[in-house]
Amino acid sequence: MSSFSRSAQQWATFARSWFLIDARMQPPGKIASVCSVRLQGKHKPIYHPLSDIGDHVVVMNTRHIAFSGNKWEQKVYSSHTGYPGSFKQLTAAQMHKKDPTAIIKLAVYGMLPKNLTRRTMMQRLHLFPDDVLPEDILKNLTEELPQPREIPRKLNEYTQEERDAFPMLWTPPEDYRMK
Amino acid sequence: MKLFALMTICTERQNGHPRASFTRRRKYVINQEVDVGVSMAAHCVLQSARTALRSVHSDLSSKGLFQRIPCFSQLSFLGISPCRGLRHVVEKKDGKTTVIEGVIESASERPQPPNPTASCPIYRWNLQNKYNYTDVLLLSQFIRSDGGMLPRRITGLCAQEHTKIAICVQMAHRAGLLPDHKPPLPEGHVPKPKANPPLNRYLTRYSVKSVKPIYKTGLKWCKKRMSVGHPALKNNVRYSPKPLYIKH
Repeated sequence: MSSFSRSAQQWATFARSWFLIDARMQPPGKIASVCSVRLQGKHKPIYHPLSDIGDHVVVMNTRHIAFSGNKWEQKVYSSHTGYPGSFKQLTAAQMHKKDPTAIIKLAVYGMLPKNLTRRTMMQRLHLFPDDVLPEDILKNLTEELPQPREIPRKLNEYTQEERDAFPMLWTPPEDYRMK
Repeated sequence: MKLFALMTICTERQNGHPRASFTRRRKYVINQEVDVGVSMAAHCVLQSARTALRSVHSDLSSKGLFQRIPCFSQLSFLGISPCRGLRHVVEKKDGKTTVIEGVIESASERPQPPNPTASCPIYRWNLQNKYNYTDVLLLSQFIRSDGGMLPRRITGLCAQEHTKIAICVQMAHRAGLLPDHKPPLPEGHVPKPKANPPLNRYLTRYSVKSVKPIYKTGLKWCKKRMSVGHPALKNNVRYSPKPLYIKH
């Protein structure tokens, strides 16, 4: 902005912001891609891989993420510590029960560039299973990001007027009793 | 002479709607002192059923003048289906006599479909490839109160659209978009507290209990993909340039 002084412009360009995302009813992959973009700093026109201009991202309600398809049962997270007999395979449902933040953490880790800056970027990612956030993080938050997926409305969330406005597509026969 | 009669009661053949012309045969074991033939006993049972119905109706109508009484809940326990439509109760008092009458609700004025000459309701309203599992207002018109689909001969859907709607209803149930259309639990049954809270999901093709984990996904050229959505809905209208992504 031309009205800013040089020091104010410098601050505005290079300050590290804190973003908030609500992961309720959202697919973890889409949340993770948004997080990885912000953590690398790719949303800034001054991006450079060596500049370390990534921002902080706070994800809340990670316990309430929604997988599409049957991924809760089909997706398997495997790990091996290197010792014999330590090959562990957990389904997404089991992993989520054990640690509600693990799915998003692993997704973001896999989407970040595979170099030494990845660990520092993961330190700037803050995951919370519910919407209870500590005070110091609440004070730092600057912007809330929009949710990637539009949450569909349940039938009981429609008002009676909306239900009446929707036309009946077929007329039931007079002598049919089931409904 | 006491007779423990095993009787078959045939419902009357309804001549009104051509599609609903079915006869249902129900068998009841009735312990009754009957020394006349089967037809008399059947008549007795029907009479008792009618009086039971009248008493139930009067109990309900005493709460208010105008009420819609769906007949399914009262008649289901009797098992007899006179196949009546929705009526509203009108109570008239002439001095000492009260007349409680069920007046058939006539079909109110409805908006005309844009294509009235089609046989299937979806084609009548030009909704062929335009609905999804999220369109709960549309899907709820084709389901029973316990979540099951209504038969095709009643709704008038063509075969393909019936299967598509059934698939969308299944996906909506699994996504939790139809919370009030669950099957009724038996009386006095307290559901056990669930160990795991239910996981949120959407576009689930297969039932939760039937799916096995993919322990070995395979190499890129022969990967075992996790399927999302259903191929029956692949012709749906898309407003974004990206193609429908079914194999994740």
